[in-house]
Amino acid sequence: MTGLAADRRTFLKGLGVLGAAALVPGCATTAPSPGSGASSGATGELSLQSNLSAQQAKGAMEKLVAAYNKTGGAQVKLNTVASEIYRTQLPTYLTSANPPDVYTWYAGSVADSYAKKGLLLDVSSVWEGLGNYPKAMQTLSTSSNGEKIFVPTSYYWWGMFYRKSNFAKWGVTPPKTWEEFLAVCKTIQSKGVPPIGIGLGDTPWVASAWFDYLNIRINGAPFHRDLLAGRGRFDDPKVKAVFTKWQEALPYFDPKGKSFPFQEATSALLGGKTGMFLIGTFFADSAPKDALDDIDFFQFPIIDPAVPVAEEAPTDGYFASKKAKDPEGVKKFMTWLATAEAQEIYVQSSSGTAIPANPDGKSADTPLVKKGKAMIEGAAELTQFFNRDSSDALQPTADAALTKFLDKPDQIDKILKDWQAAAQKVFNA
Amino acid sequence: MTSTAASTVTRRPWKVSPLILVFVFVPFVVEAVWVFWPALQGFWLALTRWDGLSAPTFVGLGNFRDMVSDPIFRTALKNTAIWLVLFGGLSVAGGFGMALLLQRERRGVGIYRAALFTPVVFSLVVTALIWRVFYQPDGLVDSILRGVGLGDFIRPWLADPDTALYAVILPALWRQIGYVMVLYLAGLKAVDPALYEAAKMDHASAWQRTLYVTIPQLKGVNAVVLSVIVIDSLRSFDIVWSMTKGGPYHSSELLSTYMYSTAFQSTQLGYASAIAVVIFFLALAVILGYLIRAFKEES
Repeated sequence: MTGLAADRRTFLKGLGVLGAAALVPGCATTAPSPGSGASSGATGELSLQSNLSAQQAKGAMEKLVAAYNKTGGAQVKLNTVASEIYRTQLPTYLTSANPPDVYTWYAGSVADSYAKKGLLLDVSSVWEGLGNYPKAMQTLSTSSNGEKIFVPTSYYWWGMFYRKSNFAKWGVTPPKTWEEFLAVCKTIQSKGVPPIGIGLGDTPWVASAWFDYLNIRINGAPFHRDLLAGRGRFDDPKVKAVFTKWQEALPYFDPKGKSFPFQEATSALLGGKTGMFLIGTFFADSAPKDALDDIDFFQFPIIDPAVPVAEEAPTDGYFASKKAKDPEGVKKFMTWLATAEAQEIYVQSSSGTAIPANPDGKSADTPLVKKGKAMIEGAAELTQFFNRDSSDALQPTADAALTKFLDKPDQIDKILKDWQAAAQKVFNA
Repeated sequence: MTSTAASTVTRRPWKVSPLILVFVFVPFVVEAVWVFWPALQGFWLALTRWDGLSAPTFVGLGNFRDMVSDPIFRTALKNTAIWLVLFGGLSVAGGFGMALLLQRERRGVGIYRAALFTPVVFSLVVTALIWRVFYQPDGLVDSILRGVGLGDFIRPWLADPDTALYAVILPALWRQIGYVMVLYLAGLKAVDPALYEAAKMDHASAWQRTLYVTIPQLKGVNAVVLSVIVIDSLRSFDIVWSMTKGGPYHSSELLSTYMYSTAFQSTQLGYASAIAVVIFFLALAVILGYLIRAFKEES
């Protein structure tokens, strides 16, 4: 009898454990109500949802908002969310009944994907005062039905970064063409250093930079954009050509790069454990200031001189919810964000490698930033980055395909077939 | 007589105190709103195609048909089975072994028990961080292997598709063994010492005492351990996500991580719900047998 009673008690205890287990995943789905950061109607308050959660960037945003609040318009309330959470919650923010008003996000296809669902505010009136912005930025800020839906505020660039002192020590100079690039790799390897650094553990999307650049160098930017927008196929022979070219450089990649994230790959580059690193300027956030003086970059090597030169210039900025309570206040705020003055406040207070989108805005006065700016301005075409030119949903399919290629380069055909199937699913969703 | 009997029968429902009704119905309503209703919605979403923004479109069993031809789903299913067998099996074997070893009160036994239980206290994300440091290139694992002359075996543990899954199971086991050990220790405490006394009188060997006294006496604990292990295996997510995110290229994907990445990274919420339904039925299938048996014993 007692045995049975004990049995029942342990069983009930078991059920309790089961109940607790069932509750845990429940917590994950009951995110705080998205409207909680929103303004309370026409009280003259605007809510700004920001994904700039890194220390320096967050501080810069606080300064920016404080500066606007002093101008006497609507008071802006900044709500900073950790970037990874922000990305997954953004659709929820935008579709909620009482959404926040203004959002930090990316220009181009990724913004258009929300505009297509009728979620973004038409800010064409803001653009009437932005005649000095380059044509490329206008295109990136225009939705597929012709409305301006985005206000760009800054951009940065990608390049092949290296340490000047190490290049001098190894006796190599920055290459211009693919052949020269492979020769440099060979020389660096002969010194016992892995020539090309990469960081794929945790940050597999870094590999997409290689895909993007090889594709825009071999097939050109228009083909690349069409492919990412679902108007091409990843098992196209032209895409295969990208991978066969990439194979030529594979022996020079740092084998340890598969295990650590790009931050550690940055340390490896700065520590002289790798020769060069294809990365965006944001890597500077995790680099010591004194090492930055020794850093330089060169443009991704030219492969086919007949293809118009394109560069990756990811553009950051703001869009607003269609359901914003005070559309005029929002537009006033966005007009101010587009001014050179506002953008300089942000650039000066953050890590300093971002370039103001407003051509009149002053960027940080370092040789590195000047060189980056000149490279972008001299490009015939601009692309952004894999996820920005497609969607956040397509990025994981690229991560799987590209990391697999780096591991098993002899399986290109199967990898591309799988990639096309996975991408098809995303485009159909 | 008959009238009083009848009146007790009719009056009985009135004897249920309103307090008890409150205790039953308030949690039921809360549960219904926060658990049952979303769960039912999940079943409905599994039959749709939904990106989280526009209205879901009904596709019938389309998601389940897609699964059959989805190589990542097959890998995830296979890995979940491996996980269930290795993680579940080894943690029961290890936990039970440790409990037998540490059940007798000896000097210092508390230290060993505490040491084995400590990993349970850490959050799995912290555990994952510690083990990632062990596994990193030129980290502890690599140095040890080099130290004992096995340098040729060194691999990028978490980045090699052949080792990633097993490299994640190890820290999960490190934690689970301590947990299962405590469950068994509690069970062993409840075994009547007189049974061992009697077995000894009958000249039963230590092995026979374990086999014919200890194990049958632990039947109740076993049911709990089995439920805990199956549930823990199928909902294992945090440790895999924080160590490999199911990578490299889906080679350490479990059904739970695949469900998450499908839902929140690829925003295919319909397909993700279909995976959730599969996980639900798997858990149900494994546990149902034991639940039925347990209820039979109750009655």
